[in-house]
Amino acid sequence: MELTLNQALATLRRQRELVSRCEIFLVCGFQPLHLATFLKAHFALRWPDRAADVREGLYGDLDGTLASAAKSSATAAAVVIEWGDLDSRLSFRSAGGWGLSAEQDILANCRGRWAKILERLKDLASRMPVALVLPTLPIPLFGHTAGCQMGAAEAELGKYAAIFLADAARLSNVSILHPSHLGRLSPEVSRRDPNMELAAGFPYSLGHASVLAHQLVQLLCPLSPMKGLITDLDDTMWSGIVGEVGAQAVTWSLSEHSQIHGLYQQELRHLSEIGVLLAIASKNEMPVVEEALRREDLYVPGTAFFPVKASWGPKSQAIAEILRVWNIGPESVVFVDDSPMELEEVRTAFPAMTCLHFPKRNSAKAIELFEQLRDLFGKPAVHPEDALRQSSIRAAEQIKEAGGQQPGSDFVRALQGKLTFDARKDGSNKRLLELINKTNQFNLNGVRINDGEWLRHLEDETGFAVGVAYEDRFGPLGVIGVMAGRQNEGVVEVTSWVLSCRAFSRRIEHHMIEYLFQRRGATAIRLAFKPTGRNGPFQEFLRSMGVENGAAGDLEQQALRKPDDLPHEVRTLEND
Amino acid sequence: MTDIQVRLSACFANVFPDLKPDEIPQASQESLAAWDSVAHITLLSAIAEEFQCEMDEEFLETLTSYKRIVEYVEAGSAKS
Repeated sequence: MELTLNQALATLRRQRELVSRCEIFLVCGFQPLHLATFLKAHFALRWPDRAADVREGLYGDLDGTLASAAKSSATAAAVVIEWGDLDSRLSFRSAGGWGLSAEQDILANCRGRWAKILERLKDLASRMPVALVLPTLPIPLFGHTAGCQMGAAEAELGKYAAIFLADAARLSNVSILHPSHLGRLSPEVSRRDPNMELAAGFPYSLGHASVLAHQLVQLLCPLSPMKGLITDLDDTMWSGIVGEVGAQAVTWSLSEHSQIHGLYQQELRHLSEIGVLLAIASKNEMPVVEEALRREDLYVPGTAFFPVKASWGPKSQAIAEILRVWNIGPESVVFVDDSPMELEEVRTAFPAMTCLHFPKRNSAKAIELFEQLRDLFGKPAVHPEDALRQSSIRAAEQIKEAGGQQPGSDFVRALQGKLTFDARKDGSNKRLLELINKTNQFNLNGVRINDGEWLRHLEDETGFAVGVAYEDRFGPLGVIGVMAGRQNEGVVEVTSWVLSCRAFSRRIEHHMIEYLFQRRGATAIRLAFKPTGRNGPFQEFLRSMGVENGAAGDLEQQALRKPDDLPHEVRTLEND
Repeated sequence: MTDIQVRLSACFANVFPDLKPDEIPQASQESLAAWDSVAHITLLSAIAEEFQCEMDEEFLETLTSYKRIVEYVEAGSAKS
């Protein structure tokens, strides 16, 4: 979304009374001016109940600002580098540097500067999340060639930047703005404002500054990715009606003019590999579908889908059943179908679900759909748990079938569960924060935390964070629970507590209470509880523990009974 | 108030949110501590955006009060 400067200023005017604030460091060598304004405004639109204070460094001192930011109390940093930061002779505000005779010196200088910036960036990223933007403006008049021809020296500058980019992309906590994405939103030709650059040291047009600030906020505060995709089959996953032509006659290849379905299968396989849940809702006979899904030339194996629902009833019914098995809400799910009527039926039943049309006769639109799916499901990191999600949901169904919705204690004990409580403070373990920020149902208060706040929490001597991994005879679930807070002698204040819905009904939450009493020596537990529209399972848990006042804020929890008769084997990992 | 004055006042209110509406017509760089160099650039950029015009660089340093800016924008508007 692009804001005008006046819209941005008006947004900030409305926000200035907000008490809840956070600090973002804007690291750049030019005057931050409107970029800082837009950054605050786009942050305000992303988090309406929270204001961002933007800290800035000195003009022309990218290195010093990087160092200051790394020592600051900011919880996030936006680093925007332009060519003038590499060598002032590459800035319009500096004269006398473009001669052929200066080329080699400029190249050598830039090479060294990238290396130094990388070191500073490592320090910064060790303390807070960083959104990084590499030069967005063209190299000014460098080289001896006409504008249409790239000179060797310019290519060399690009090479150093590319090497830096590859190194920076590997750093934990660093997110880099994709230049192609920026190019679609802000064409290069309209990015520079030479008048403002010469008059005030701010090189960007208002439009470019707005787009850039929006993208920085997107990188620093990414939206939670969708969790599951439900797909139709006929004329969506393949071309043809399988019930009419048979399982062997549906196609998805270039030679059969149905490549777009093959590409869709490829996209589904990719989504499955990054942990997205896949299911099928198709109007068909189940045996025919099963036969087609057994075909070995599918680009996405049939086993990647669970559940598979094939029937002649309304698709919304099948989807309701899929959501029950997945135990996730419709707002986290995308449904893809080639039939506008089916999409409308599902949309009516689940207004919060993202329903997308598969344009079977329009390849360009289909590729747009694939790009949209990438945006909806893209995530900054892939964790080992992502590979376990589908199988653990299958296991949960097996457990439900064997033990019912609320399995008895004998059954839970027979699972032979093993819990690992990992209390080691490790800022590079992103799984804990991911779980806190995406779990809705068993969630103490729904409070979302950014990377910087999390790193500050881990730096705090009184702060603790424990991740809980689980496995049983049905297989591993990975890290499925997190509890974090502060401890002052025997009083433990829990500020975050989540448990994945895949791990319900195994009494893991009771083990987590036990952990506080036994391992942390808690004599009193204070829960920063807050009811949300979606944390019903947590409220139910509180009631089961004898806490009736589910609507209160903080709860003094002497009422929480020490759980006994716990079913699982436990081991604990602590910092040395 | 003319349409130009209403739109200019909105720009002033956005850049100087602590100014009361009746204080805006008297605002000047001398009387307003918040009107520093950054606020000056922000104000003129907001005005240029609002009126879809480019500020003539030679006038930038003279546009130091609400009154002068009104005159400048009205003159530019009359020319166009």
